[in-house]
Parts: sequence; C-alpha cells; structure tokens
Amino acid sequence: MAGITALVPPELIYAAGWRPLDINNWIPGSDARPRSKLCAWTASWREAILGGELKLDALVVVAGGDCHNALADGQVAARNVGRTHYFFYPFDGDAGYMEGQLRALEGFLGEGLRGERAHDRAMRALEEVAAAKRLGLRLEALRSAGRADPGSTFDALISFSDLEGDPARFGGKVERLIDASRDFRGTEGPGVALIGVPPIYRDFHRACAEAGLRVVFDELPYEFLRLGGHDLRSLARSYSTYTFARPVEFRLGLLKRELSRRKVRGIIHYAQFTCHHLLEDGLLREELDLPMLTVQGDLPGRTPAQVRLRLEAFGELLGAGKGAI
Amino acid sequence: MAAGRAFVGIDAGSTAAKLVRFDGRRVVRSRMVPARDWHSLVGTVRPREAVCTTGYFRRKVPHHLTLTEISAARLGVARSFPDAEVIIDLGGQDTKVTDLRNLTLQMNDRCSAGTGAFLEQAARYFGMSVEGLSRMAERARDRVDINSTCSVFAQSEMISMLERGARREEVAAGLHHALARRIAELVPDAERIVAIGGVARNRSMLFALGAILGRRLRVPPEPQMVNALGAALHAVAHSSQS
Repeated sequence: MAGITALVPPELIYAAGWRPLDINNWIPGSDARPRSKLCAWTASWREAILGGELKLDALVVVAGGDCHNALADGQVAARNVGRTHYFFYPFDGDAGYMEGQLRALEGFLGEGLRGERAHDRAMRALEEVAAAKRLGLRLEALRSAGRADPGSTFDALISFSDLEGDPARFGGKVERLIDASRDFRGTEGPGVALIGVPPIYRDFHRACAEAGLRVVFDELPYEFLRLGGHDLRSLARSYSTYTFARPVEFRLGLLKRELSRRKVRGIIHYAQFTCHHLLEDGLLREELDLPMLTVQGDLPGRTPAQVRLRLEAFGELLGAGKGAI
Repeated sequence: MAAGRAFVGIDAGSTAAKLVRFDGRRVVRSRMVPARDWHSLVGTVRPREAVCTTGYFRRKVPHHLTLTEISAARLGVARSFPDAEVIIDLGGQDTKVTDLRNLTLQMNDRCSAGTGAFLEQAARYFGMSVEGLSRMAERARDRVDINSTCSVFAQSEMISMLERGARREEVAAGLHHALARRIAELVPDAERIVAIGGVARNRSMLFALGAILGRRLRVPPEPQMVNALGAALHAVAHSSQS
C-alpha cells in the first residue's frame, strides 16, 4: 500500500503493482483532533501515520504542487514509514520535467510500465483506471445536468485520486451510481461551483442542498477525473496540466471554461483555516465575476451551524428556495 | 395584503431579541429584550399577525416564515438606503459584510476579536458599559496602538499599557481602533456603506471604522432593529405574493 498526500497519477502506481491510498480520504468521516496543527487535513494524516492507525508500506509526498503544510507534515510522518518518495509537479507545465518525475516515481515503486514481465499487468491497470475514469466523467456530467445526486456523486468523484485500491471494483461502484441516477428525481436551485480544496466536513454537499444550492461542479475531483494517459509520455503530458500545481492564471482558465459551460450562478470557495489558498480569494473574486461565498473550515466533522448559515444566506441571495428575496 | 393586518419581524439574535411590528406602511412598535427573554416577545404576537423570524435562533421562535439575518439586513437596509452598496452588520457575536453589488458575503465569527464581544470584555475590565467605553474614547486626544488581533491578548496589552501610564481614554480609543481595523479587513471598497447592528450605535466605533475605510458610514435609525424590520418586510412581501 502506497500512501499519497495529494494527487499522484494512480495509473502509474497501479501499473507498478501497488495499491495507492489517498491518506486524506478517511479524514472527513473521522473525528480527528490533531494535537499540533496548521491545516487539519495534513495534521490528521500525520498523526494517524505516527500513531500507527494508518499503516503504509511506502509514502509518496507531493512536495511540489501541494502546500508546505503537506511537505512539512509529510516529512514528520515519513519517520514512521519504511520508504518515502518526494514527488514534484512542474509549476511551468514542462511535460519533459513531468516525465522525469514519473520515471523517478516508477523507479521508487520498483516496476512501472517498462519490462516484459510487468507489461501485461501494467497495460491492464492502465485500462482499468481509464475505464473507471470514463464512467466517472459520465456520472459527473449527469450530476452537472441535475440528473444525479450531488452528495453521492462527490463522494465517488473524490475517490478517483486512489480509486479505493481497486479500479475495476471501483468502476463497478460508479456504474451502479449511474444506474441509480435513473431514479433520481432531480435537484432544484441555482447551480453553484465548489472550488478550492475539498471541504473537510462530511455532509457539506447535503448542507448545500438543504440551503437550496445545487452543486454542479467540484473543482478538485474534476481534476482527478480529467487527467490520465495510456503510457508514460501521455501521462506526463496530461498531469503536467494539473491546475492546482500551476500558476493561478492557468487554473483560472480552466475554471472560467467549466463555470461557463455549466451555467454556474454562484461559487463557493472553500479553504482550510490558515490555508495559503485563502490568499487567492481576492484574485478569484475579481477574475471569476460571479457571486462568491468563501467558507473556511477547520476540524473534520459535520458542517457547523455558522457555515450552514452562510450557505443558507448565499442560497437566499441567489434566489433559491422559500427564503428567496 | 389583508386589510388591517400587521406583520411582525422577530430577530432572535445571540445577545438580544428584537421585535418590529409593521402595519404595511410604517413601524408601529419595536422592542428589544435580552436574548434569553425572546418568549416575552412571542407573547405579544396577536393571532392574525404574520410572523417572520431571523437571527441565530430564528428556527426556535414560532414563525410563519423565516430567513437568514443576511437577507433580512438587505431588506431592512433598503427601506432607509435603497442605493446601499455594502452592509456591515456589527453584531455582538459576529460581523457580517454583504456586498450588494455582487452578492458576496464575508463573516468574522472565528473569534471575538472582530465582534462586539471584544468591546464588552474591555468595558467589563473598566467596570463600565460599552456605551461608557465609547464615551470615554470620544474624550481621547490621542490613542494607543493595540496590535494583538486576539481579544484576550489585546486585553493583556491594554492592561500593560495602563500600567505603563497610558491614559484610560487613549486606551479606550485604541481598543475601538483595533476592532475597527479587524472589521475593515472584511469590507470591500465602496462609496455607500451602511452600518447596522447593536455596535453601529457606538459612535467611537463608527468614527474609527469610517477613518480606516476613508468613508462616512451611513447608519439607519435604530440600527439594531434593522434585521427585525427586514423580517417584517419579508412577511409583507410574502403576503402580497400569496
């Protein structure tokens, strides 16, 4: 089991015969209360690794393209993991550099896409991940069109960072969600986009729905789905466009395109308390030119009353539900 | 709208509960009680009156309609200042800033440093009311700089300044300025800024905030009643729709 602190191409990890585990994904469902923290996301997994609750054979820390909290907490956590690798995305989008990083990761994991023995397994893994992502994109499109439940869709999409350790089984789970969407009655309310890091609250999408807000776009899970490839070179080309690792102007380009395509009427910008992404808030407000609500989260659990109040007020301002004015 | 029908807005806030009775044209009664006594306001509601509640405990109070205090503020402010661009709701437990031009909200509720509770704490130290603290600050010829952004640390800073010989008036002025500086971080640049909420009755606070923002803040009559008025107006609007 290879723990990943942020997005690391799962295609390559599966191809190398490992199972990735996004060590963030258990946190919203927990009541983690890390002792010493800036960001509760990174501090929670650090504590869980040091305390032995998360047992990993290897840890891949995203050291370039994620935050310094993750880098610092990753180095502390690494003391309780046998092997650690530091992975860097290119800020300038250099696909050659990205390919070098993928080769280094391949070397760390032992085997990758090369070699006779590994070839069949690697090709099968690549195809399974690609097939699951195709299903994920279908589910995502249904949700954006109001034909799939935003909450359960988000829960599935956020797991595309590791495909829950088994791409074929995970693909089946997504397929069942697509099937279940036939019975979905549809959602009402203004379509909103959720941008920034994922909320640390386990019921955030439900809280949005209760406030009359229909989430039609989840920025980071969309990145998990959007990126992929069938060999090292195409993976490098694709993952070098991971917007969270690139300059904010690059990220804005994708956001503008997706928000316009989905006819979004408002934006919820989620950031962790003390997160550097909060510093981008003014720029995002200026450039995206849509009503924006900024929500700061701290510790995992249910969405707190103050945050629900903001969501409800935002819904009212956008003209949602009974409280519309 | 039913002839002769009255509309009641109740703002069940975290520190005070307010009631406004509106007859469709004007406010005929307004009343404020401590938050824990909100039942006494409900007792004054007559059978045919339409009640809209707002505020932190809005769902606990019996109502026909309810809406958040942010929307209530928007409706209440529009009655006095229809061209308002930004509303600053200076409450006891939080501060809410709504930019009406692009419908964005900012709130400071993470700690008491940007709320009325900050001044209440300081007033308690001086053994006076918040109004008394404001009047004391008005008498200051200068002010001390309070740098702490945490209200607990600000109080320690205040005490050490007093021990070093700073005048009480100057410390009071410094406290108002520190709170205003914290609130100003949430306020976007705008020409027409309206301040409401209990803290908007505090002249020293308005002076400090206006100075930092470089704007003269507009304040409606009875700024602490604006959200209850907005709730009553929402009941009126709902009645004419149904």
